This record gives sequence, structure tokens and C-alpha cells, in this order.
Amino acid sequence: MAIIEVKDLTKIYGNGDNAVRALDSINLSIEEGKFVAVMGPSGCGKSTLLHLIGGLDRPTSGSVMIEGKDIAKMKDDQLTELRRRKMGFIFQFFNLIPVLNAAENAALPLILDGVKQERAKARAMEWLQKNQLGDRSTHRPDELSGGQQQRVAIARAMISNPLIILADEPTGNLDTRSGDEIASVLRSLVSDWGRTVLMVTHDPRIAAYADRIIFLKDGKIVDDTLMSSDAPENARRLKEKVESL
Amino acid sequence: MKGQFLLAYRYLTGRKQRMVLTTLAVVFGVAVLFGMNAMLPGIITAFRHSMITAAGKVDLSISSKSNGPFNQSIMDTIQNAEGISVSTGILQRNVQIPESLGGTTDPITRSASITLNGLDVETARLVRRYQLSEGRFLEPGDTDQAVISYSLAQKMDKKVGDTLTIPSSQGKADLIVVGILTQFESTTVDEVYVTLPTAQRILGLEGQITVIDMLLDGQVDKATVEKNLLQSLGGGFKSGQVELGNELSAALEMGESVMWLFGIMALAMAAFIIYNTFRTVVAERRRDLGMLRAIGASRKTVMGIILTESLLQGIIGTFLGLVTGYAIAYGILQGLGPMIEAFMRAQVGPPEITAANLAASTLLGIGFTVGSSYLPSRTAMKITPMEALRPVTLLVERRRRLLRAAIGAILIALSIVGLITGDLPVASLSTLAFLVGLIMVIPVLVKPIASTFGRLLSVIYAREGTLAQGNLYRQPSRAAVTASAMMIGLAVTIAMIGLVTSVFDGFIRYLDRSLGSDYLLMPSSLVLGGGNLGAAPEFARRLEKLEGNSGVTTLRLASTQTKGAALQVIGIDPQKYPEISGLEFSQGDPFQSFSALGSGRSIIVNGIFATSSAVKVGDTLLLETPEGEKEYQVVGVAMDYLNAKIATGYISQAFLEEDFHITTDVLIMANRKEGANQTAVDAEIKAAAKDYPAFTLFDAEAFKKSQMEVFQSSMSMMNALVFMLAIPGLIAMANTLGISIIERTREIGMLRAVGSTQKQVKRMVFAESLLLSALGTSLGILVGIFLSYYLLKAVNFAGFTLDFYFPGLGILVAIAVGLLFGILAAMVPARQAARTVIVEALRYE
Repeated sequence: MAIIEVKDLTKIYGNGDNAVRALDSINLSIEEGKFVAVMGPSGCGKSTLLHLIGGLDRPTSGSVMIEGKDIAKMKDDQLTELRRRKMGFIFQFFNLIPVLNAAENAALPLILDGVKQERAKARAMEWLQKNQLGDRSTHRPDELSGGQQQRVAIARAMISNPLIILADEPTGNLDTRSGDEIASVLRSLVSDWGRTVLMVTHDPRIAAYADRIIFLKDGKIVDDTLMSSDAPENARRLKEKVESL
Repeated sequence: MKGQFLLAYRYLTGRKQRMVLTTLAVVFGVAVLFGMNAMLPGIITAFRHSMITAAGKVDLSISSKSNGPFNQSIMDTIQNAEGISVSTGILQRNVQIPESLGGTTDPITRSASITLNGLDVETARLVRRYQLSEGRFLEPGDTDQAVISYSLAQKMDKKVGDTLTIPSSQGKADLIVVGILTQFESTTVDEVYVTLPTAQRILGLEGQITVIDMLLDGQVDKATVEKNLLQSLGGGFKSGQVELGNELSAALEMGESVMWLFGIMALAMAAFIIYNTFRTVVAERRRDLGMLRAIGASRKTVMGIILTESLLQGIIGTFLGLVTGYAIAYGILQGLGPMIEAFMRAQVGPPEITAANLAASTLLGIGFTVGSSYLPSRTAMKITPMEALRPVTLLVERRRRLLRAAIGAILIALSIVGLITGDLPVASLSTLAFLVGLIMVIPVLVKPIASTFGRLLSVIYAREGTLAQGNLYRQPSRAAVTASAMMIGLAVTIAMIGLVTSVFDGFIRYLDRSLGSDYLLMPSSLVLGGGNLGAAPEFARRLEKLEGNSGVTTLRLASTQTKGAALQVIGIDPQKYPEISGLEFSQGDPFQSFSALGSGRSIIVNGIFATSSAVKVGDTLLLETPEGEKEYQVVGVAMDYLNAKIATGYISQAFLEEDFHITTDVLIMANRKEGANQTAVDAEIKAAAKDYPAFTLFDAEAFKKSQMEVFQSSMSMMNALVFMLAIPGLIAMANTLGISIIERTREIGMLRAVGSTQKQVKRMVFAESLLLSALGTSLGILVGIFLSYYLLKAVNFAGFTLDFYFPGLGILVAIAVGLLFGILAAMVPARQAARTVIVEALRYE
């Protein structure tokens, strides 16, 4: 069953002569429990697509259906609740709160949902331990490495048991090894935890961990490929495809 | 609370320097508000406690509504009244004992204050107990015998058998101490008890008493007895003791209002600083706040985080402000204690914390803090997840700024017209409009002003000045808010200095006009009332007969109640007074007013009474007198120097005698004959005054000089208060620069990486600080001139006629202060910026 369904989705920034068509009538369906990567050159609209699916922005026209509900028509409070309970976000620059420690950062979505802090932190600890950060739970972001910070962000994204994880260039700010680690974690969220992951990346090596790659160019989908389970082979093929596009 | 408290607490503790500076602003505001208002009630309470009281010792007391003496024949009515078991009449007055008669050597007044009580010996002890530690009580035949309080005996080192000399209406009176009360019998004042006829002789109030104390029959209802008694006595009496010095309460209460005003202003400036901080905080945390929205924080939650943070700061700042304010008040009262004790006969204890002051200071401290973060919290609330990832376009901001500036310019123009042409209410609104208009215009003025001063600055800071200007242009709104805090502080400084100049000039004029005689004979205490014993008319007559005198005029004193307020009544000779002295008129013609005084029950009131009781020429006042209510026609509004601060009315001495039974003089003015030998005349007058130790002879010029010194020293306290208001401006600048340095960490790292030295980075910060202070000072000067004109209008409206003086000195002081603040505020931020570790700064997010 399609957990995400996008119909004739368009996003235009600016107006008149300055108008920029970031997305141009995109149609897309994503099955539950799949790992989908979105690739394309700079300015192709991949982040815009992610933002619209995540309810972070409103489309100019078209619809975004999450579990059969059109989120484009939702009011702000409904969208906010959706993001809090049904979605998890992972950003390129981690976006952790600098004054909170790892456990508090991870627990944030539950705390914002009104769960008592002790319970929320206990759950956060579970996810931090799963991400091998149990002993760093009291450290603030400036005391963690980039990879560790991103794993805290993953714990935060998973803590409210969301249906969908949206990752925007999650490895963009990391070294190769850390990037691979993060990509593996994302992979395990799908295979071990049954989540749906939608990831934007420009790195074929990272995209190779996905089940399906969607290529965007000038706001349109230009390719949609299913991937095999061999990550290195996928990476090679993707690199060729990116160069050809 | 959905995480608001956790996030607010962490953000506060995560940025300690900023938290300290912002909280300091709240501490300062609350300290001024709470401290000033904890001081004055203590003084007022002590002052009221110093007034005569025998509270709790008798069942009922009756005194005149005018607080003056009345005929003792009233006792007949009292004695025959139902429900009264026993009654006694007492004559009570405060008397100052000058140093020459053994009073204290207090450097300010050189006198001691006592309460003289004349008792009907036969009945006094039936009504109240007087316990003695030594000697005996008064006996019916006593004429010059006295019983004194334990505290007075200690202070003046008197024993039974010693002589106590006090001033009297005939000069002085020697009293033999026959008894000393026990330590526990005395009230807070030093008391002397004599027989009633003796007191009446000493005070020149034959046949008069001031209060009747009573014990009631058992089983009677006090309220009924009181009501019936007051009805039978007519309208001129009240239940309770005499409240002397009540007319001073009005001045003290006005002081309370001034203190509140200062406190509110200090808090308002704290609010500016907090607003600026939170504005910046919201801008700085756009990404964090956007992320919170992205992961599911509602708009209300985000708003709540900012408000909770400000609430925490408000609570901490208010608490510290209350403690600091109390400490400041305590310190000031300790310093002023001896002077207050001497002037007002009041022993001041620690600052008085009233529930109202505590509640108001707490609510205002927290309220201002949270209130000033409201708008930034609304901005935060509007941050969408996307805005955190993409910046807002500059074009939209610029258009808004220009529109606001246009509206602001119109407001400014209208307000100038309103100030010059309008009455006080219009001028008040105009002042508010001017401030609002200027605040709207300031962001647009940042660039031109910074560019103008930048050219001057480039002489010292050639390269760094350009960078500094750019920093200001980039954040004109933040520069504007910082400048506003400084602007207000400096504007108040300029306006107050301007006002002080005008007031000083005005008081010199009053001084010249009302103390225009060659000689003044007056009590050491400068307040006419408050226990200064008058001299019988013989003294003035003796002076008139002296060879070297060309004319003598006197002032006499009573008190009354009218229009629900206390009024000091001064009796003058309507013919002689304007020849030798005079009043400064703001309403009514002087010649006609003085003539009217001589021909009927007319009164000239002073400005402070006219304003507070909304009285003008032509109105009728009902004055409470021992002879009942009397109608007086207001014929002028005028002031003299000595009584400018106390609600006062001037009537003829003839009516003062008829209605108030006062015939003693409390101030005598005399003129030397033209061509007379000054030394000889001085000697003549001194010899005549020797028999009246309560009076000191002043050479008018020397007295005026001493008054100017007193005036200047009291203005120093005012200036200190005013300078305090400039301090938030310093905090604002330090805060802004600190925030700005943190925000530009990466940029500063980049500057250092490409070759800027630490010294150059420091100079850039100093340059920016000086530009900010130039902006604040320029605007402060504009507002200061406006405010100074407005304040003068307000003072004139209050009945003090003063001329406008361009606050040139104030402007110079403001420029110096602005320059100093520019340097001081930059010191710590400049050092921090210079110490930036390059690689860490380049990694900074």
C-alpha cells in the first residue's frame, strides 16, 4: 500500500519574471517499508519535494497524501501534530538544540507531545543505546562528533515511532566513514524496524543503500529505478546514471 | 508545559553572559522602584509617629479640625456630656530648643525638639497615669516647675533640681525640673510637662488648649458618646489627637510620586534592553525554532519557550532587584538619618516594606520583563519550518522600515506643534507621540548618522571604522533599539539638568523677591512650622523702635483643613509685607491681592496647593478654624521661597488672630535705614534678639548664599538619581555588543584568518561601540531638548513659574557620558572578540 502519494505536485517560488518552478507537476507513490532516495543536480527540487512531503512547506498546487489524507489541505496545528507523531526528520546540519544534552535532544518530540520528561528520557536512552550512544547521553552537541550528533538526530527522529523518516542530505556534513555508518543505520530502520525512509542525497554511494532511486531534474522526475541488494554495484551504476543525466 | 521550561532554562544557563546583562537591567529597574519607595514610607511613618500621641492611654480624645488651639471654655460642654467619666484639657506644642539653650549639637539644625504639654494638674492624673522614676509630679500651685521625659533627661543631662531653659513667646522661660518620668512611660518624643497656665504663658496662648482627653463611664458605647459629643460641639472638632506638620505630608507624598516615576522609568529602560535581547535571541535561534516546528512543536509552544525564558529572568531579576533595592534604601536612610531626625524630629528606622510596594514592584518587575518579550515571542511563533532553512528577503523588511519611518516623521511634526501650542494634557500626549515617532524613524536614521560620525571616526579608526559601519547597517533595527535605551537615559539627563537650571534660576528669583529684606530673624530650622515657637508681638515692636530700622514685617503661622487637605496658613501684614518682602504671583494682580487681604476674609494660595486642590482666583475656600468653618475668597496664586514646597495660604494677621487666635510671630524681616551704619544696626538688632534665643539673626545676603548651597547639595541627589537612569543605556550597549560578537564569531574568525590582527579586531569593536553611542547621544539630545521644554511646561502648570533655559550644560554632559559609555561598553566584548580562536570560530554554527 502506498503510504505516500503525490499528485500533480507543483511548487513555484516568487512571481512574475522572478518566478522559479521548483517542482513541476510531480506524481509519485511510495510504498510502506521502503527506502527511497531522491537524487539530482543542485536546484532540481529534491529538497523541495522532501519539504512538501514532510509538511514543512505548502505546495502551490497538487496534493500530498499521507496514509490517504491530503496534508496540503490541513491546518497548521494538524500538520504540526502529524509531524510530531507520524514523521521523523534528519537534517544535514543535525539541527540539535545546542543547550540540551543528547538524551534531552532525542526526547524532544515526546516532550513536545506532553509526555512526562522522565518517561521521554527513558525512551530516548533506549534509542541512544541502540545507536551506541548510551555513554554519551549527558553530552551536549558541541561535545559530540558529527557522526554522533547525526545518530542523536536519528534517535530523535525515531522516538515517537513515526511512520516515515525524512532525511535531507543526512551525510552531507560527515566524513566518508561516518556517512556510511549513518546510511547503514537508515537502512536498518527500514529492514529491522519496518519504517519508510525518504532520503535526499547527492552522493551515489549513500543513495546506493536505498531500494529505489528517483532522479529529479528541473523540477521533474526523469528517472525512477529499483535497486538490487548489492550496495557497491548500486553505487557504480548510480554514478554512471548521475553523470549521464 | 511541553518542554518550555526545560528549553527556557537551558537557553538561559547556556548563555550566561547575556543572561547576566539582561537580568542586570531588570535588577536595576526593580531596585530603583522598590528601594526608592521603601525609603519614603519609612520617613513618612516616622514623621507621623513623631507627632504628639497618647494613643491607647485614654478612651477618647477631641481636638480641633484645624489642628490649632481652641478656647478652654469648651471644657464646660465636655464635663456636662453624657457618658464622660472624667476629662482633662491639654495644651500641646512642639518647641525647638536651640543650641544656645543646651539643645543638641546637631550640625544641621543645632537644636533639640521637645513637646511642651500644659496639663490641668487636678484632672490630668485622673485620666492618664504618669509614672515617675525620680522626684514628684506637678502640683496645682506650680508656675515654673516641669516634669520631663526620661529620654530628654538623658539627652540634656538633666536631674531633679536642674533648670531647663526653653524658648517662649516672651523670649525664654526657665523651668525647674521637679520630676522625671520612667523610661517606659515616654513616647518616642522628648516631653516636658508644665501646668496649663504656665504652658499658655510660654506659648502666648492664654485661655487656649489643643486637645481634650477623656475616660468614659463603664458600659457606654464609645461610638455613640463620640458622635453625640462632636454634634454638641459643632463642626469644628474631630475625634483624635492633633496632627501637627500634616501640611508637610503633602510634600512627602508628592515625593513618593516622584520616586514611583523614577522607578517606572528605570523599569521602562530595562524593558527596552529585554526587548532588544529577545529580538536578537529569536533571530539567532531561527534555525533551532524552525527545527522545533519541524519536529512538531506548535506555534504556542514556541511562543511559550520565549515567554518562559523571560519569566524566569523576570523572577530572578525581580528577586535580586528587591534585595538590592532594600540594601540601597537602607544605606541611604542610614546616611540621611541624622538630617531627618533633626529636620523632622523623626527617628527613622530601616526601610519600610509595604505590601503595596512589594506587590507592585514584583508585578511590575516580572510584568515588564515578560511584556517586553511578548512581541519577540510572537515573531518566534510565526517562524515556519521553512523560514529556518531560508532567510527572509531584505526587500520586504526595507519597505516596512520606510513606511514606519514616514508615519514616525508625521508624528514628530505633529508633536512639536502640540508641545509648543498646546496645554499640559496636549503637551503630554505630544511627548509620547514624539517618542513613538522617533522610535519608528530611528532604523532609517542609523545609516546617515553612522555614516556622518563614521567620517569623524575614520580619523582614528581608518579601516576598522568602515567595518564597524557595515555591522550597524546590517542590523539597523538592533542598532535602533540599543540606541533607544541610551537615548532615553541621556534625554532624561539632559532634560533634568535643563530643569534644574530653570528651577535654580526660579528659586533665586523667589529668594530675592520673598527674602528681599536686609535682615531675617527666624528659627534655626528652616521649615517655618514643625515646632518653631513664635515670639509675642513685643519683639517686632521693639525692633521697629530701633534707630537703624526703616521697617519691620512679620509672618505668623497656623494650620487648617480645607477641601480635604491640610493647609498651612501664614498671616501677613498686607500693607507692610509687600513693602519689605513680597510674593511671586502666577495668578492675580499683586496690588489688588494684597489690598483684598486687608479688606476682608481673602486668601492668596501657593501654586502647590492651587494645583493639588484645583483652586483658582475667584474660588471660595472653607477653612476649619477654632471658631468653626470660615469662608475665604481666593484673590491670588503666589509663592514665597520658604513655603514653596508646602501647601500654604496667606491671610491677614488680623483674621489670623480673629479666626485662629494666633498672635505670635515666627519670622521677622527688617530693613536697614538708608545711610545707616551697618555695623551699628547689626549690633542693635543682635542685642534685641538676645532675649529671644529661638530666633537667629541672618544677614539676608549670607542667608541667600547658604540657601543656594543647600539647594545645590539637594540637587546633587537629584543629579545622582538622574545619572542612575543613564546606566541602563550602558547595559544596553554592552549587551548588544556582546550579542553581536557571538553572532559574528565565524566572521571574526574569517577576519583573523585573512590577516586581521587582534588589535584591529578590538578596534573594530570599539569603533562600532562609539558609533552606537553617537547614534544614541544624537537622538538623546533631540529628545532631551523636547523633554526639557515639556518638563518646564509641567512645572509651570504645577504653579511654579519658571523660564525655559536651553539645556546647554546637559547636552555637554550627555556627549561626555555617551563617549564614556561607548568606551566602557566595548571593553569586555572587544577583548572577547580579539581572543577568538580562529579554527573554532570558522567551525561555529
